[in-house]
Amino acid sequence: MSRFIDKPVAGAGIGLRSTHYQTIIENQPKVPWFEVLTENYFGDGGLPLHFLEKVRADYPVTLHGVGMSLGSADSLDRDYLARLKALAARIEPTYVSDHLAWISVDSRFVHDLLPLPYTEEALANFAAHVREAQDFLGRRLLIENPSSYMGYKETDMTEWEFLQELVVLTDCDILFDVNNVYVSGTNHGFDPIEYLHALPKGRVKEIHLAGYEEQNNYLFDTHGYRVHPPVWDLYQATIEYLGPIPTLIEWDNDIPPFETLLDEAGLAQRVLDSMDAAA
Amino acid sequence: MTGLHDMQAMVRDAVFETDTQNPALRAISEHIEPSEGMSSEEHVLVYRRAILGTLVRALGNIFPVGKQLLGEQFFDGMARRYVQETPSRSSDLANYGASFSEFIAGFGPAAELPYLPDVARLEWYWHRAFHAADEVAMDPGSLSAVSAGDTGRIIFHLPVSASLISSDFPIHRIWAVNQQEWAGDTAIDLDEGGMYGMVWRQQYDMRIDTFDEPVWTFLNAVAARTCFGKMSESGIAGDLDTLLPRCVQRGWIAGFDLA
Repeated sequence: MSRFIDKPVAGAGIGLRSTHYQTIIENQPKVPWFEVLTENYFGDGGLPLHFLEKVRADYPVTLHGVGMSLGSADSLDRDYLARLKALAARIEPTYVSDHLAWISVDSRFVHDLLPLPYTEEALANFAAHVREAQDFLGRRLLIENPSSYMGYKETDMTEWEFLQELVVLTDCDILFDVNNVYVSGTNHGFDPIEYLHALPKGRVKEIHLAGYEEQNNYLFDTHGYRVHPPVWDLYQATIEYLGPIPTLIEWDNDIPPFETLLDEAGLAQRVLDSMDAAA
Repeated sequence: MTGLHDMQAMVRDAVFETDTQNPALRAISEHIEPSEGMSSEEHVLVYRRAILGTLVRALGNIFPVGKQLLGEQFFDGMARRYVQETPSRSSDLANYGASFSEFIAGFGPAAELPYLPDVARLEWYWHRAFHAADEVAMDPGSLSAVSAGDTGRIIFHLPVSASLISSDFPIHRIWAVNQQEWAGDTAIDLDEGGMYGMVWRQQYDMRIDTFDEPVWTFLNAVAARTCFGKMSESGIAGDLDTLLPRCVQRGWIAGFDLA
């Protein structure tokens, strides 16, 4: 199980979902790596962990969480961190990531990624939590930009300025979600390219792609569709700017047959390959 | 200037508020930027819908038979009330819903289905067993290693995944006929009587086993960590010579230690 430990992932991976365990284990599809949702494997045992270990025996795996609540004014949940550390010891993931968001306050969990007011106070709080988590886990975290549907009047810096500062303060890495930046840019009226060009090069270790849903007056990030054309365009620009960063296809609602995901990953791989060819 | 904690508490209150006048929604909206085509309140409402929706869906996934019995619309409405009243205290969504069965028992509109709280309890135990720790079955031979003088000190264990459950209704049958793969008759006579059973996982095989009252009494004594000597003396578990081998053979006893 240790053969991938020191080897970073590369190419276009796929988010592992339980409906596809069987087909992956039986057919061993050509996929460079899988990403799993961390909290789905927080149980003490049972089939989910059993399947994950089977997949892990053949593929590199990254852990992607939604539960660390790094942006919360609460102190960090040590029980969560202990579970994450135990899972990481068992699975030996290439990366561990979570979001630029909060999901709890006063120990009440909302189980959705809520945006922060981008203030000095929120930055200091977030940075302290990232440092604490990294020290506890003994590894660097990747922090992902969220999709957001509201902005606070108290905000006094942009999200990308917040991320830039965070990297300086904590030495963390970034998971750049191209779909999220497109969704948030549309919802809040900023230019995703400006965001892209503000990213600290060399710090973006992973990219996410997914499909959003169009509502009346905003875009909603459902991870339930193919990647939309404008997101592919932005992805192309991202790869041209940052280089061939490992890219993940995420799909969480109305999960299609595995072949559809392979198809999407193939499209991303083509963009990555075109960069390799140009280099 | 509102600090981070207070801002987050205001968002949370707006998400879960039940007051139709929406005072909490209006309070947080003071701090939210409106955008082209959307008021501040509409921005917050996106999160209210998403969060309540996530939690209601999570309950629907844990309690699929309850949802089937009530119909999606009724179930979702009931689950929404539960979500508004019941804070999630764990970062792990899989821990949410432990008190749903109790809530259903007190939920007037669902009283027409008196077996529903017990069905929900069964589904919760199933959910817990699904994620419970893996366990190796007990080697029956290991008991013979206990010296004759020590047998009275034996304390048996149920499987770590196990929950004992009893009901005045045939909830194991209600559960079974509401599974997708069920092909037989779905009619159940509620007067056919209740059940004693155990929900557990045998390696990766999920099980709802039912049994008679002597086994129920014995397994409850085991769950209470009653030592074997005390069971024999008090006769609480009836004919231990037949009960014990039967329970070990079925896997209902997963191990033992000495008091």
